[in-house]
Amino acid sequence: MARRVALVGVGMQKFDFRKTETVEEMVFDVARNALEDAHLQKENIDSVVFGSAVDAFCGINNSDKTAIDASTGLWKPTMRNSTSGSTAVSTPILGYNHVACGLHDLVMVICFEKMSENASAQAVFSTVYDEAFVRPIGLNVPIQCGLEARAYLHRYGLTERQMAKVSVKNRGNALSNPYAQLPMKLTVDKVLESPYLSWPVKLLDTSPVTDGARAVILASEHVARELTDNPVWIRGVGRGADSVWFMGRKNNDLGRLDYAYLAAKQAYDMAGIKNPAAEIDYAEVYDPFTYKEMQHCEALGLCPEGGAGKMIDDGISLKEGTLPVNASGGLQGEGNPIGAGMSRLCWCYLQIKGQAGDCQVPKDVNTAVCNAWGGMYQYNAVMVVGRD
Amino acid sequence: MTNRVCIVGIGVVESTENTAEMSHKDLLFYATRRALDDAGLERKDIGGAITATFDFLEGRSLSNQYTLDSIGGVMKPCDLRLGEDGIYSLFAGYMEVMVDPGQVTVVASVQKASERDPNGVGYQKLIAATLEPIFSRPVCSSVPNPGSLESVLAAMDARAYLNRSGLTEQQLAKVAAKNIGNVIQHANVSVPGPEDILKSDLLSWPIRRLTSAKESDAACTLILVSEKKARTLNQDPVFIRGIGWCSGKSFLASREQGTAKETKWAASQAYHMAGIRCPEREIDFAEVSDWYAHRELMHCEALGFCGANSVGSCLDEGLFDRTGALPVNASGGLLGRGNAVGTSGLIRVAQVARRIRSHNNGFKNPRAEIGLAHSWGGIPTATAGVAILGKW
Repeated sequence: MARRVALVGVGMQKFDFRKTETVEEMVFDVARNALEDAHLQKENIDSVVFGSAVDAFCGINNSDKTAIDASTGLWKPTMRNSTSGSTAVSTPILGYNHVACGLHDLVMVICFEKMSENASAQAVFSTVYDEAFVRPIGLNVPIQCGLEARAYLHRYGLTERQMAKVSVKNRGNALSNPYAQLPMKLTVDKVLESPYLSWPVKLLDTSPVTDGARAVILASEHVARELTDNPVWIRGVGRGADSVWFMGRKNNDLGRLDYAYLAAKQAYDMAGIKNPAAEIDYAEVYDPFTYKEMQHCEALGLCPEGGAGKMIDDGISLKEGTLPVNASGGLQGEGNPIGAGMSRLCWCYLQIKGQAGDCQVPKDVNTAVCNAWGGMYQYNAVMVVGRD
Repeated sequence: MTNRVCIVGIGVVESTENTAEMSHKDLLFYATRRALDDAGLERKDIGGAITATFDFLEGRSLSNQYTLDSIGGVMKPCDLRLGEDGIYSLFAGYMEVMVDPGQVTVVASVQKASERDPNGVGYQKLIAATLEPIFSRPVCSSVPNPGSLESVLAAMDARAYLNRSGLTEQQLAKVAAKNIGNVIQHANVSVPGPEDILKSDLLSWPIRRLTSAKESDAACTLILVSEKKARTLNQDPVFIRGIGWCSGKSFLASREQGTAKETKWAASQAYHMAGIRCPEREIDFAEVSDWYAHRELMHCEALGFCGANSVGSCLDEGLFDRTGALPVNASGGLLGRGNAVGTSGLIRVAQVARRIRSHNNGFKNPRAEIGLAHSWGGIPTATAGVAILGKW
């Protein structure tokens, strides 16, 4: 049977263009921070799990291999996971498996992405499409997401104004986050005035390209209890992936993320959560675009299906709301270094521990959920963390 | 541990088939179909799908996402994509089944090398792209012939090894002749001897055309289930008794040339898990990475196959031959079958599993109950994975 797994430390770093640093330096920084946070030495770590979405961003094949010395993983088992944006949560799930299956007791999970090395992230993203059928259409991330956003807004009767409110909330929340790249004090009108990238997605609906890394340390139950009196447990994990052919998905509708509902259901079933909107205290939801936060809130059951507009209108997801979402600023405010979106999990941990500083929400947080979206726009990974 | 993990389905497509006419999605589809047929399962039974491929080798970003539809992973509960050698998907699949014993997990890897340019310069560029960019890459760009970067780097390793171990070029040729001979054993073709190997083109001394494996296309899919689940299927299960993997230094300037420390460490984990104390006696046969002939010997040494004897004397006495006491690469290895970079590790596992089941035609080893599969990450990385499979 699966063993219980706890989070015992996180390593943070400011998201920024780190032109003068190498991948090794970024990884070293967060690995050391995580060890300090967990009061551990590098010798204590049994194995390392890397997460990085796209090697072409930093131009190094197997970029994790160059950072093995820096990661505490030298002469230890290391494994690298890569599921695009969802790397952010699928990598800690792989780390969870390392501990839960009984192979290792202390696992360092490091996610990093160095996007500043290439001239255009979109040029890199254009190489992900099928070269025979899809690439000739000329899609890139904003266009693909524009299609998805249109389908979503149409299906549930939501508005661009509601999307803009998410941007105002997240960028505003990032003002209290010391690791954030792009905190901004905005108004809804200012977001609505920003130029369209691909209708209905506007510049201020997107998240910024950046460099960054995050680390978390996972421990088996007996080790976690030695390290801390009140561990933060991984209570549920879930993954779901639809067909890579976005025109061939089962439900024929880009507006409803069946795969995200599947991932959330698994994670909640495992955690024994029946009514997420009532039982979840805090959520860090993957928000590379504003409408994605809304879609993910619905898929995670934080609001009824189609109710994400009302959720933001009523202020439920504000920092001081009844179910705060992305009080750290999310990807919109903190920056979006694809794989290092594991920051979502780190902030859940910090909120539960009460160590989120100025981002701490004014309520008790016992159970939190985070998710990440990626793959070929068809993969979702969900993790529920909390105290006993 | 109460529950064990076993392999119940094996599907392989290799370059002996007409792979030029297949896309990498086709390759993987056929491999998966064969594995499902082998296990007597259908797509609806699949609970999880894990693949391992490298973006740069595939020529696209997020290359591993493309495998999802081919391996039946759509809308299934478990799903992971590794940027690692194929054997790592076995490790991830093992963990997945241990955590959720009800799961039928498909692990797969694919490589279509024939899409790269035929003169091999494309692969050399990939080697350069794998190097650390600030200190190592500029030095390597001064290699005069752009087609020889890999062999120059491998030759440094080989020379250090020959120097340390006192092995000769003739012994390297013997390894290549053994593995190539193992493949064409039954065909009506003359087998090249060591002297023919030594006549092949010298790429960078002592690396020759026939002592280094050539690139090839391949796809491999294995189906993993728990022991309890396996009892409900018709196929004889092959048990995963031990796994271990390890990463060493990939930085050229500080790596130790001529050693296979990462293999030694990975093996010690796997042996510990499998309860193996004396590998040279307890392992019946092995499939070991022979990317270059010298690496096979290096790996045999690191895996503890030689006991107190030198690897050279073991080779000369025929210990590693097809009919020897511990046959190594009886399938032909990478030198004989071609090296589908990133997939060959999983194919090694498939070869071992097949032989344990004795489904592989021509092998009639009375003692083939515990086999070892090994994979090495290749120049310039220093990673290794070891899996020990058994009949029980």
